[in-house]
Amino acid sequence: MKSMSTKANRVNAIDVEHLTVSYHARAALLDVTVSIEPDQLVGVIGPNGAGKSTFIKAVLGFVKPDVGTVMINGKNVQQVKGQVAYVPQRGAVDWDYPITVREVALMGRYQKIPWYKNPRKKDREAAMEALDMVRMADFAERQIGELSGGQQQRVFLARALAQGSDILLLDEPFAGVDAATERAILDVLGRAKKVGKTLVVVHHDLATAGEYFDKLLLIKQRLYAYGTPDDVLEEELLSKVYEGRLRIFSDLVKKGER
Amino acid sequence: MLDAFIAPLTETYFQKALIGGSIVAVVAGVVGCLVVLKRMAFLGDALSHAMIAGVAGGYLVMKMLFGLEAHAPGMLLGSLIAAIATVALISFVSRVSRIKEDTTIGIMYTGIFALGVVAVSIFRHYIHIDLMHFIMGDILGVADTDLWVSGFTAVVVLSILILFFRHFQIATFDPIMAASIGLPVLFLDYVLTTCVSLVVVSAVSMVGVILVVGLLITPAATAYLLSDRLDKMMVLAGFFGVTSVVGGLYLCVWLDSAGGGAIMLFCTLQFLVVLAVAPKYGLLARWLRLKRLVPQQVVEDVLTTILRYDGVTPIANIKKYVNEQPKKLKKALQRMVQDDLLIESNEGFSLTENGRVEADKVLRAHRLWEAYLAQIGTPKEALHLKAHQLEHIREGGAVDYLDEKLGSPSKDPHGKAISSEKPGE
Repeated sequence: MKSMSTKANRVNAIDVEHLTVSYHARAALLDVTVSIEPDQLVGVIGPNGAGKSTFIKAVLGFVKPDVGTVMINGKNVQQVKGQVAYVPQRGAVDWDYPITVREVALMGRYQKIPWYKNPRKKDREAAMEALDMVRMADFAERQIGELSGGQQQRVFLARALAQGSDILLLDEPFAGVDAATERAILDVLGRAKKVGKTLVVVHHDLATAGEYFDKLLLIKQRLYAYGTPDDVLEEELLSKVYEGRLRIFSDLVKKGER
Repeated sequence: MLDAFIAPLTETYFQKALIGGSIVAVVAGVVGCLVVLKRMAFLGDALSHAMIAGVAGGYLVMKMLFGLEAHAPGMLLGSLIAAIATVALISFVSRVSRIKEDTTIGIMYTGIFALGVVAVSIFRHYIHIDLMHFIMGDILGVADTDLWVSGFTAVVVLSILILFFRHFQIATFDPIMAASIGLPVLFLDYVLTTCVSLVVVSAVSMVGVILVVGLLITPAATAYLLSDRLDKMMVLAGFFGVTSVVGGLYLCVWLDSAGGGAIMLFCTLQFLVVLAVAPKYGLLARWLRLKRLVPQQVVEDVLTTILRYDGVTPIANIKKYVNEQPKKLKKALQRMVQDDLLIESNEGFSLTENGRVEADKVLRAHRLWEAYLAQIGTPKEALHLKAHQLEHIREGGAVDYLDEKLGSPSKDPHGKAISSEKPGE
């Protein structure tokens, strides 16, 4: 019964247990154990090279753990595919690729379409619904490179929504977008949460982390904390993880308390 | 005149060249799209060069073991093996050593090409391979076996690409997502490489080792300039492949030139024409777009001029304050009317609701910059002009920073009011 959450008796969205992942002699993640409950907006924070991207890969089932397990909705990640919808970093996408907004959203349905069949009507409708939800339906026929940064991010969010997974994994969605776009994306994330999605977001900016997320997950090789922003954005903890840039953090901690 | 087009069509060699070339070009164009999008263009080159070792090997083995002379399937299989061995060597060396992939490709394909050349010359008494034919190709001497080989290749490769179109699309566009929904991304990569090898092998006998990579990528790149969807790009690339072959063959007959060369020349010219005139991604379109672009600075100057004039502003007045040629200014004003910033009337121009909001933003920035400049000791008479240049710098929260730094001043140095509320950027 370890993977069951106590309240409401619902299966946890993500259960990581004693996870160690290494590259050669170096452990990228060491004995990480964390349970993420459903319907949460969770921020993953930590300094550069702290193993955030390894954590993502582990949740997507790409790495073979040295020790430990990753369970998605109570099932081993190695056995279930496509349970976690992934939204790539903006820099990782070829924006010149000949593909339209509608096609990207439809991609979310690809897993459900047998290889010998064309996308069905209900797949197309699901894709358009997802685009509607992120308010990008009017741009359906545009090539993705013609959109602004925030719109591009929303298209990939739509793809994740069309995938129908309960868990969305976003890699730095706020990197390189302006403040207004950041709010627009946050708004979409909030709406996704309302319809019962669990969102795990890799986030760089400690200053906004406390304000944006329900829970924060602080990692640097090991799991340093998982909990509400008030619990995680604590001076002692942050100085341990970010090694002595205290002056800045005392400021942040105050913000977190506000 | 018409005769120049019809006469070659009655010749058997021309018909065969046309059919064989078109088949190869269609499939090369379609698979080339993925090669272009995956940035593997160099790979096509490597594969074609590696082939000669495989052809020589296949020839030798079939002759030694079975006594068969120039056994086509044997040579074909040999080239495929050589092509795949080259790819395997390339990825092996770049994985285990510090040498990067582009260098490895260069080393491996020249090495294996050299091996083939040496083998062909050592065994010249046993195997009869014309190196020149191999390097230049001979589309006008297409044999029936070549037609069968290319037809077979085309059917296999096109079937794979059509059946697994979505798989290749997602694996080239977003390999991480592809893997996350359980697609065998690495295996798809191998399949694609094998398809490219097949195409290259069947195309070499027609256009030769050196030009085959052009047949693979040039029609695809031409189509890339014209399409926003992969399926459309593939259809267009196939089409451009065929037009290259048809155009090139006529060129070859009329000019009495080398066949492969004429085809690639036509193909390249075709690319250049499309590059120039493509409606969205062409050079001409780009130039026109730049020319038509109304500089943001002019737009903002017009807005603030009208705001300051307060009411319907005659065009003469706008001309006085906005530094722009009359013709361009007129165009800018038209554009701003279209963009719902201005309303045109007989007396002049006035601001719309949108225009008013925009103008307020600029004016607020102008006055805050003035206040800031005064604070850092800029002479009073230079304030306005300098702020006029700086007012366009508003991105990344620059204006809010000024506001905060100056303690949200309510008046600028000239005593004009600075609106305190931040207009939504």
